[in-house]
Amino acid sequence: MRLPQFNYTGPDTLEKALDLLAQRGPDAKILAGGTDLLVRMKKGLLAPKYIISLKALKDLAYIKQDKGTIRIGARTCLADIIASDLVQKEASALSTACERVGAATIQHFRGTLGGNILQDTRCFHYNQSAFHRSGRQACHKDGGKICYARDESDRCNSTCQSDGAAALMALDARLVLASKGNERTVALTDFYTTDGIQPFAMEPNELLTEIIIPVTNGKSSYQRLAYRSAIDYPIVCAGVLLKADAGKKDTIGEARIVVGAMARSPLFLAKESAELKGKLLTDTKAFQKAGNGAMNSASTFAVHNVGATLEYRCAMVSEMIIRALKEAAQAIQA
Amino acid sequence: MEKIDLTLNINHKPVEVRISPNDTLLEVLRDHLDLTGSKESCGEGVCGSCTVQLDGKPVRSCLTLALEAEGATIRTVEGLADGDTLSPLQESFVNHGAVQCGFCTPGMLMTADALLKENPDPDEDTIRKALSGNICRCTGYAKIVEAVAHAAHPQDQCPDCASGLKSCCKAKE
Repeated sequence: MRLPQFNYTGPDTLEKALDLLAQRGPDAKILAGGTDLLVRMKKGLLAPKYIISLKALKDLAYIKQDKGTIRIGARTCLADIIASDLVQKEASALSTACERVGAATIQHFRGTLGGNILQDTRCFHYNQSAFHRSGRQACHKDGGKICYARDESDRCNSTCQSDGAAALMALDARLVLASKGNERTVALTDFYTTDGIQPFAMEPNELLTEIIIPVTNGKSSYQRLAYRSAIDYPIVCAGVLLKADAGKKDTIGEARIVVGAMARSPLFLAKESAELKGKLLTDTKAFQKAGNGAMNSASTFAVHNVGATLEYRCAMVSEMIIRALKEAAQAIQA
Repeated sequence: MEKIDLTLNINHKPVEVRISPNDTLLEVLRDHLDLTGSKESCGEGVCGSCTVQLDGKPVRSCLTLALEAEGATIRTVEGLADGDTLSPLQESFVNHGAVQCGFCTPGMLMTADALLKENPDPDEDTIRKALSGNICRCTGYAKIVEAVAHAAHPQDQCPDCASGLKSCCKAKE
């Protein structure tokens, strides 16, 4: 498969990259590892006029601890995050999530954390070859007015299948978005639109530069279900963060439950998370209840568009949540 | 579209190529340089048959722009053997019947070679995990895993050696 034609630039400083983005914003795409972007370009889903490569921006690849947070450069490759003891210790959900992306030895040296968060939403009606798509009317994401995944839907229902984003949302991460002369920080929970066509609330002239993870005394876990571990995107995943109560060590003080690969963004389930507060760390009935609650909440958003049947994926939501809660609770007790 | 002159360091030799920005490393290797060992199969980073090493790390050349490989040390399957002498890993693949149709073999070799450089003593789980991104539709993987384990352990951990099969390289020694 040939790539469409484009102009390539590889700025060597962040300022130059932001300048280029300011000039070419909507016509340009950022190339980090290319494992998502180039595939979409090969399938003819995207034909940017300009490619701005982050290859020379080595400054954007780092993992460091800073005043109660872990700061990870957006260009840091997944292999470095997996190898980091700091991430493993303080944000194990992210470590697990990165490890599960694609194939161990191949994807990890190219794929970056920033790219993983910003990978486009997917749908098996949309992520097809140009030939396949030419046989029928265009869907919303393809510039048309139809959704093949949900009848009569007025918007695109493509699914966010990022492993990293679900784990990071559970860890309450924030993103740093830079544009020419400006920089803003946005919580990952506020980063998503409800539109599958433009899933991210970021401007075309903005560049994701950093991911900030707060370090807490909590423990996190990430669970994922996919057909073939080394190849497929998750069909359901769950990220969980549990913190023990400051006074009573055997009780949950705070919980964050996130379900991924079920909607246009990872879903932070505030109600189910709040209900776990005050429950014992060994209370499996409460975990079961949280799992069922999560399944009901997530089912509302899910459509049949990423492989397994919708019924199976919905049923597996609770299982993933329960496993993640158990693992996090055990890590606290250990 | 404008052509770009590029120097790539392939198998320890600097090579001049004239490419378009949208050429992938795989296209340059195969179409410009006749290094047809690396194969294109899925073209979207799933099957691993296009795997080459960039600075010692296995990457998918079908999803790497040639421009992005500038300045890196590129190693392809053609760089494994020394003239007509196969590398121990290649020898092991041949002797263990790890090659059938051979289409996935270059990718398997490059991934396994990178693994062995990093971890000269991998156990079966490590080998299987490392090769999990390379798809083979003939062998069922058992022979490939054996071949990789054998390349790392010339004297032991080889079921063929233990049973004294003539096809095994240790039996030949």
